Amino acid sequence: MNSCTDCLSRSTCASADKPMENYIRSLPLETAHHRVATQETKCGFGLQGVCCRLCANGPCRITPDAPRGICGASADTIVARNFLRAVAAGSGCYIHVVENTARQLKNTGLHRDKIRSEKALNHLAEILGVTGGDKYDLCVKVADAVLSDLYRPEYEGMELVEKLAYAPRVKKWKELGIMPGGAKGEVFNNVVKTSTNLSSDPVEMLMSCLRLGISTGLYGLQLTNLLNDVVLGDPVIRTAPVGMNVIDPDYINILITGHQHSLFTYIQDRLLDEDVVARAKAAGAKGFKLVGCTCVGQDLQLRGEHYTEIFDGHAGNNYISEAVLSCGAIDAVLSEFNCTLPGIETICDELKIKQICLDVVAKKANAEYIPFHYETRQADGDRIIDEIIAAYTARRGSVPMNLFTDHGNRNTLTGVSEGSLKAFLGGSWKPLIDLIVTGQIKGLAGVVGCSSVAYGHDTLTAELAKELIARDILVLTAGCSSGGLENIGLMTPEAAELAGPGLKAVCKTLGIPPVLNFGPCLAIGRLEIVATEIAEELGVDLPQLPLVLSAAQWLEEQALADGAFALALGLPLHLGVPPFITGSKLVTKVLTEDMVSLTGGRVIVDPDGKSAANQLEAIIEEKRKALNI
Amino acid sequence: MERFVIIGAGAAGITAARTLRAFRSEDIITVISIDEHVHSRCMLHKFLGHERTIQGINFVDEDFFEKNNIFHISCQTVTRVDTEARTVHYGQDYSVPYDKLLIASGAGFFIPPIPHFREAPNVFGFRDLSDALKIDEAFAKGRRVFIVGSGLVGLDAASALCERGADVTIAEMAPRVMPLQTDDYAAGVYQKVFEDHGCRFLLGIGAADAVVDGEGNITEVILSTGEHVPCDFIIMAAGVRPRIQIALDSGIRAERAIEVDDHLRTSAPDVYAAGDCTGLSGVWPDAMAQGKAAAENMAGINTVYEKPYPFKNTSNFFGVTMLSVGRMDLTEGADVIVHKTPAEYKKAIITGGRLTGYLSLGDISNHGLYLHLIKNGIDVSDKKDRIFRLTFADFYGVNEKNGEYVYTV
Amino acid sequence: MKRIFIDAAKCDGCKNCTLACMASHSDMTPRKGTLAEIRQAVYALDLTDPVNQSRNRIVTDGQGGYKPIFCRHCDVPDCAGTCMSGALEKNLENGLVEYHSDKCAACYMCVMNCRYGVPAISPDRKRVVKCDFCAHLEEGPACVRACPKKAIEVREV
Repeated sequence: MNSCTDCLSRSTCASADKPMENYIRSLPLETAHHRVATQETKCGFGLQGVCCRLCANGPCRITPDAPRGICGASADTIVARNFLRAVAAGSGCYIHVVENTARQLKNTGLHRDKIRSEKALNHLAEILGVTGGDKYDLCVKVADAVLSDLYRPEYEGMELVEKLAYAPRVKKWKELGIMPGGAKGEVFNNVVKTSTNLSSDPVEMLMSCLRLGISTGLYGLQLTNLLNDVVLGDPVIRTAPVGMNVIDPDYINILITGHQHSLFTYIQDRLLDEDVVARAKAAGAKGFKLVGCTCVGQDLQLRGEHYTEIFDGHAGNNYISEAVLSCGAIDAVLSEFNCTLPGIETICDELKIKQICLDVVAKKANAEYIPFHYETRQADGDRIIDEIIAAYTARRGSVPMNLFTDHGNRNTLTGVSEGSLKAFLGGSWKPLIDLIVTGQIKGLAGVVGCSSVAYGHDTLTAELAKELIARDILVLTAGCSSGGLENIGLMTPEAAELAGPGLKAVCKTLGIPPVLNFGPCLAIGRLEIVATEIAEELGVDLPQLPLVLSAAQWLEEQALADGAFALALGLPLHLGVPPFITGSKLVTKVLTEDMVSLTGGRVIVDPDGKSAANQLEAIIEEKRKALNI
Repeated sequence: MERFVIIGAGAAGITAARTLRAFRSEDIITVISIDEHVHSRCMLHKFLGHERTIQGINFVDEDFFEKNNIFHISCQTVTRVDTEARTVHYGQDYSVPYDKLLIASGAGFFIPPIPHFREAPNVFGFRDLSDALKIDEAFAKGRRVFIVGSGLVGLDAASALCERGADVTIAEMAPRVMPLQTDDYAAGVYQKVFEDHGCRFLLGIGAADAVVDGEGNITEVILSTGEHVPCDFIIMAAGVRPRIQIALDSGIRAERAIEVDDHLRTSAPDVYAAGDCTGLSGVWPDAMAQGKAAAENMAGINTVYEKPYPFKNTSNFFGVTMLSVGRMDLTEGADVIVHKTPAEYKKAIITGGRLTGYLSLGDISNHGLYLHLIKNGIDVSDKKDRIFRLTFADFYGVNEKNGEYVYTV
Repeated sequence: MKRIFIDAAKCDGCKNCTLACMASHSDMTPRKGTLAEIRQAVYALDLTDPVNQSRNRIVTDGQGGYKPIFCRHCDVPDCAGTCMSGALEKNLENGLVEYHSDKCAACYMCVMNCRYGVPAISPDRKRVVKCDFCAHLEEGPACVRACPKKAIEVREV
């Protein structure tokens, strides 16, 4: 990305968040931002996706002198295989998340535990066509419906797909033969497909990516949100503090990282119990606070209305976690999934921060592993609390504080979801549709996905978001992009000033920012529900909407699985850097050109915020024209 | 201030002039040449093929003489050298004095004693620009060409004329084309590509006689088989002879070639010789090296000229490239290893653990080390199994001071 | 004059220098030659097109190591010393052995005479391909910046 060309001369990479950039540069500890310079030289074969190490003959690399691997695999095969592997792994991640989330709902039902939103439960049961006795029974039945689909073999279609997806899309997917089988089976089958000397058919593998995209999107993304709404509570629109100012050193602070919010349900309630608070006070603190980081922090923030006491706010995205820990006021890290950077390990050791891991898939080398079991959650929870209090006692006073109290802001608009936004608009999408039709809002852009640092921390995401709103395009975010954009103030009502005249007027009238925060990456599923509902109201298919997606700073394999869903939905998807595919002309062509005639979607790669915004705006204009608006 | 005179503006003469100027910025340097234009005879076929202009086959910058402050006396033939008076006589009645003289008069084409061939006005060589100009003129009148000899010179002429749509017949005494550089397989590949471009080869056949018209022009070549081949003109490419007339007329010792010692000195004091006229080698790189060595000695820098290794050549006809180094003909008692794929053909001849011949047809990129291995008799007995994949990595060494590579053997 | 020095002991055979070289001489030729520009050019580089030739090579030494074979721009260059067209010339001011493709007659004397096997021939068999020190890049040879081991550097000699 052009925005970070001067990395070589500095010890840390650039960030869209300048105060944070300065803070990180002054840290006495090493962070990912520091390591960017030492990893600046990238392997060209890796960048192009033409390095294959699937067998002991490798690694084979494609060059003009060596156009095929030893086995005979062409660049197209190698690239498609590597890409499908990544998509399958990414899908596996989200399917793991939805599986645990469904199990949590089921256990909640079985144990007649606390349900925060019966409305969400009934809504979900209605979508899925599930009926039951009481609300607890309904929880079990809804969860079972989801779980049984996940566990179906790959050769059996999943039953809920047609209930969750928009009908015109289902029709298209059937035409293309990409209706997914059991979600776990799909991951399994496609991992097999990409193993040594199995599939060499690049086109078939790309179609498999779409199939994985569908199971990932409908289950991993959409359903995870809807299941969580039941147990954790519906999002409610509100303003909240964000950034490192949320950290109050007078409390025992626990940084949470991951994607499986429901695994924290028990402990986040328990930390407020009088006996536990009394123990904190005995140790010298005012009580406990959870500090949000990564997507699970975003999810907590999204539902912050229900957690005002335990949750002070979201500190930042994945690549802020090291900085947050460096402030000295964090006593423990509770993690259950990515993005829990290995880089936190040395910082935790140095600052005596207790690391506890609840899910072995995210086991950090020096973390204590206390697996989450519903049945033993109380005993396990008390043990975790003991450990955290012990860490607090051991470290406070002996570890230097390096607080960053003026970082971030205190009026970021949060709690936006498909439900809360529609309610805000008066229970219908019509007001938004009208604004789009009149052109006051030119279109919608989902600026979603991760935060990365190699080419600048959130620099492209921020530049793109600013460029889009200046063009009267309303930006909706989900994922770590939200964390980056909220810390630089784009989600405060004052950011309306940065928008183009049409959008600015809308924001001022409604008192909202031009960038609306849907929360964690899981909420990409919520954006897609919004899109589907708008399309439904207009009576058009998704590719016809003046809607674009950008995973400008996509980071990980999960993002590629999300991206595959976007393509299956027929949406244009911008990426800041290519997903290691440019070594194959065929794969590049299918994803960036031919996809239009397959699903209606396509990949657009552009490392520059301005020109990417130009491209996305042009697409929106084109779609508006086709809709005669 | 010394006065240097160089006879000849070919590879040796020009390299000598350039080298002298590098060492002697103030001295007087004069080059006398028969040719009007400096040209590379290795690019004559590009001129004949109308691929390049006269300036296009110049191998130095157009302002070479002005820039280097060298007098160039062009279009003049040297008649005699007065080694006593130290004067070079040229043209009608001109002369130029010298303190040090270099004879780089080159070599001329040879016409075997076939009836009519030596006298006929339509028999040309293909050595100098003047030859090419004559052929160009003849070609305007008739497109049937008879070439005697299928060595590099003959094929150069053939390729150029084929590109222009000539009807070319090549007679070769040996049983294959480019007999010195190839083996049967490689020769076959080249023969095919030339035939594809409209050439006819008569292998193992010589010209024995000719039919001439009233002006003495050969109209038909009579082959050793008795067959008559009608033609419009003839190109002789059956070998060259060092040009030694100047030496003979000046009392400088010469028999087949001008005799030189290891400092490239002739029998006359302060008279040197370099290039094809010395008969030491017939290839361009050696002529350059000799011109450089002679010039260094003339400038007072004691330089011993190492005996050249003349068996080396590359060719590139119609995009078919070949490198041939060493003696491809000496295979007795040798290991001959061949590697053949649809895209390439390689042959290595190893005698007594040392590479003595190497031929590569196809992509000859990065092949330079084979010449070095052959020329220097480097032991490759432990590398036979990968003889076609040798690279400098096998002999890698670096001069840590200046970063240049050095061979480690 | 400058020369590229390479510490062969540091070479891991990653060929980043090779790709940087190819990228530097590709259609996407970086303007200044910053690492970021080179990376963008690498993304666009067609790795199956023989036209994209590298001027340097990394070769295994048969003992588990790698030997980088790069043009030395020799003090006494055999390539220029045997060139019959004047296309290859040692520039005595900057020390580089410069190649002028418009003069080249594709005779491949240089290929034969470089004892280190550096010059390669172009796929159309009409040119020679050899190091030009990335003369078009302000920041100098792309290979230098591309090496993750910092094994390649330009030194004054």
